[in-house]
Amino acid sequence: MTTISSGETAGPGIADPGATEETHPKTRRRDRARPPKLKFHIRLRRDRSLLIMVVPALVLVVAFSYLPMFGTVTAFQFYDYIAGFFHSPWAGFGNFQQLFGDPNFWHAFENTLVLSFVQLVLYFPIPIALAIMLNSVLSSTARSLIQAVVYLPHFFSWVLVITLFQEMLGGAGALNHFLGVHDLGAWTVMTDPGTFKYLVTAQAVWKEAGWGVIVFLAAIAAIDPSQYEAAAADGAGRWRRMWHITLPGMRGVIVLMLVLRLGNALTVGFEQFLIQRYAVGSSSAEVLDTYAYYYGVVANNFGLGAAAGLFKGIVSLILILAANKLAHLVGEDGLYRSNP
Amino acid sequence: MGTDETGLSRRRLLRNSAFGLGAAAVGTPLLSACGSSASATGGVSSKGLKSVLPDYVPLSGGVAADIPSVTGANGALTDPGYLSYPTNLVKTVSQMPGSGGAYNAITPLWGSIPPAGNAYYQAVNKALGASLVVNPANGNTYANTIPTLVAGNKLPDWIQLPSWWNSTLNVGELAANRFADLTPHLSGSNIRKYPNLAAIPTGGWEAGAWEGKLYGIPSFVTGQAVAGALYYRKDVFDAKGINPDDVKTADDLYHLGAELTAPKANVWAFDVLWLMIQQIYKVPSGGYFLENGKLRSALDSPQMVAALEYAYKLAKSGYVHPDALANDTSNGTQRLYSGKELVQSGGTGGWNVMDAQQGRAANPAYVRGAFKIFSSDGSTPTIALGPSTSEISYLSKSLSPSQVEECLRLANFLAAPFGTYEYTLLNYGVEGVDWTMGKDGPTYSNAGQKDANEQTYQFLCAPQLAVSNPGYNYITQAYCAWSADTVKYAYKPVFWNMNVTVPSRFSSVSTAQEVNDIITQVTYGTKTVGDFQSAVKSWKSSGGDALIAWYQTNVLDKFGAGQ
Repeated sequence: MTTISSGETAGPGIADPGATEETHPKTRRRDRARPPKLKFHIRLRRDRSLLIMVVPALVLVVAFSYLPMFGTVTAFQFYDYIAGFFHSPWAGFGNFQQLFGDPNFWHAFENTLVLSFVQLVLYFPIPIALAIMLNSVLSSTARSLIQAVVYLPHFFSWVLVITLFQEMLGGAGALNHFLGVHDLGAWTVMTDPGTFKYLVTAQAVWKEAGWGVIVFLAAIAAIDPSQYEAAAADGAGRWRRMWHITLPGMRGVIVLMLVLRLGNALTVGFEQFLIQRYAVGSSSAEVLDTYAYYYGVVANNFGLGAAAGLFKGIVSLILILAANKLAHLVGEDGLYRSNP
Repeated sequence: MGTDETGLSRRRLLRNSAFGLGAAAVGTPLLSACGSSASATGGVSSKGLKSVLPDYVPLSGGVAADIPSVTGANGALTDPGYLSYPTNLVKTVSQMPGSGGAYNAITPLWGSIPPAGNAYYQAVNKALGASLVVNPANGNTYANTIPTLVAGNKLPDWIQLPSWWNSTLNVGELAANRFADLTPHLSGSNIRKYPNLAAIPTGGWEAGAWEGKLYGIPSFVTGQAVAGALYYRKDVFDAKGINPDDVKTADDLYHLGAELTAPKANVWAFDVLWLMIQQIYKVPSGGYFLENGKLRSALDSPQMVAALEYAYKLAKSGYVHPDALANDTSNGTQRLYSGKELVQSGGTGGWNVMDAQQGRAANPAYVRGAFKIFSSDGSTPTIALGPSTSEISYLSKSLSPSQVEECLRLANFLAAPFGTYEYTLLNYGVEGVDWTMGKDGPTYSNAGQKDANEQTYQFLCAPQLAVSNPGYNYITQAYCAWSADTVKYAYKPVFWNMNVTVPSRFSSVSTAQEVNDIITQVTYGTKTVGDFQSAVKSWKSSGGDALIAWYQTNVLDKFGAGQ
């Protein structure tokens, strides 16, 4: 089902009986075409099978996401793991004061934002490009094969991926051994703090880009093929077709993924940075999650770690709401829309 | 995507449920805490401890050591060495110790975890007369799993907590709240009910005491508890004609690095040697040192700065293997086995039969050796003694007194000394199934290698350390010779064998996490010594000085330095 962009009309004849141009000067076509709302119990009965299908997932979300939220009270306590939630001394905003006064925290925050931005610019376009390229592969067996190979690394753990990188690009790895034998110097990319953000992005691309292709391929598949034929008949070459048909057709999904990405801007990863933190130093590898781990959990200061996590959650919430609003402004639905 | 025919938009449902439940979560009243936990004021193990310490009753008879213990400085004592194994296995426990109880236990393991419910476990439980199920957990992440167990009230009946995590896990407070007080069962002559436990030297019981009460059951008590040794590939050194005794200063070690490193041949001299660099530079051990009667933090010592400068220099020299600098610690031993590294620092527990077998599997010529200890400038070296044992296990407070007694009887069985029937069963398994008697002693079968080769029950309770490597006597001889030389330079650091429970306001400061984190990074070359010094300054001003002052008045002035 294709999305009707705002401003287009679906055709003559359909109108809201009571509305006129004067009473609703700025409403769009489809808003005026909404049917009257039915009573609650009637809607409940009509939709009960759908609701029942949702219940298991809902239970899971409540049990594993909402109930544990009670634990955020730790952020307001000087949490002692032996005393537990109910007997640890109250801290009020003490943990937050300590958090915001800690230069290590701001450094981690800065690193997180920088890494997020680099990954947005360098990583985000790649699954889109890959999807478009894969879509143009004619042989379906070749396409399935390439797709399977490319998304397989998604299932590897980060330990495996980083070990692989270390074996290939590390100081004692295959590449440097080759360079050393031929007296070509050494490429210490695995321990270089300056290029760490690009290394991390490269690792993320290698591991996750293939998996991200799936969503975009589905979006491309939803585009009406007759549009390509029409464009080709009008003389549009491959690049023009991609620019005018494929990309606009994927726009909804791209914006959705972008909103999700921005909402997750503060979550650049944990394991990946934990494993490499000592290799490049905390100056370039400390992110909010590793900060919460090292200065919260390991330092036996759970309250501080929880405060860092809560801060991250609140900022992420603001970001996702803002990104969603931005999506609405450019005419897309984004993550959700309250008035569809 | 707009509304479909049913009128239900998935987004509306999502939004409505999110709002409804979110409101419920926020509406939960935020609880204010009632007071703090039991040990908010802190305490010291020495308080009143002397009067409750168990009697020490050494066992008579037993196997005579081929390499007897050697006394060193300041009370250090080497472990006895055995070059043969008794053929006649004596039973020290005549009655079945258990009375059918069922207990679960958790111990750490740095090795491959044996299959659950295997034949060896079954045989041990049969001999014990109770079901003691040991669940070995990954030693590398062990400290992170304990808080979750405690918070979820899932502590097992019997748990082992290595003492190097005492401050991270705040074990003093944990003991007071969750562990069984063994003082009424073991103090004074009460321990004589358990002859094997009574034969464990008193230092082991001191190491498990908190605020004047006995909580911990010791394993592997030793008089030569040192941090470790500086190991090297003896076969490679012999082949190259390098004499390790020539290395007498830190500079000698540095030049050795230059001589050994050959990246084109895939060989680097060193791993990250921080463990022994601290010994070489005489960094005060145990966290504190005395200066004119005043207590000071080891982090503040000039020796620490000198040691870190050397570690940083090594990290930047190109003599340290790049994988080691990339924090690949889990493959460290493998790099030594395959000859990619030639010098490594490690604990004394890594020099044994298993090491020789695994090393030889990678490289048939493999032989491990250890440098004689030396100091940075060639002066008389020193090496700090650790507590009498670092392996201590605790019983849960929820056990009834009769259950505690049953567990102590089981511990008595586990503490049977070297060469007895019980010791052989626990360390080697069932004769014929897991091992057969070789020339020098038991040799594992394939089943035994898998099931019985790792430390499982031994971490709950074990007798005094004995050096025995059947079939590999050269290891026993080399280790005992190294130990005899090393104990000559032993000293007891400040607060030796004392357990201090810090007040909860210091529980995070006492970990000095930021400083220790930066120390690790300096040894990898990713932070400078200047960064370390500013971290120490900020640690001192944000609670470190208060912590030291507390130690001065509440520990040093009242109970002394444990010397």
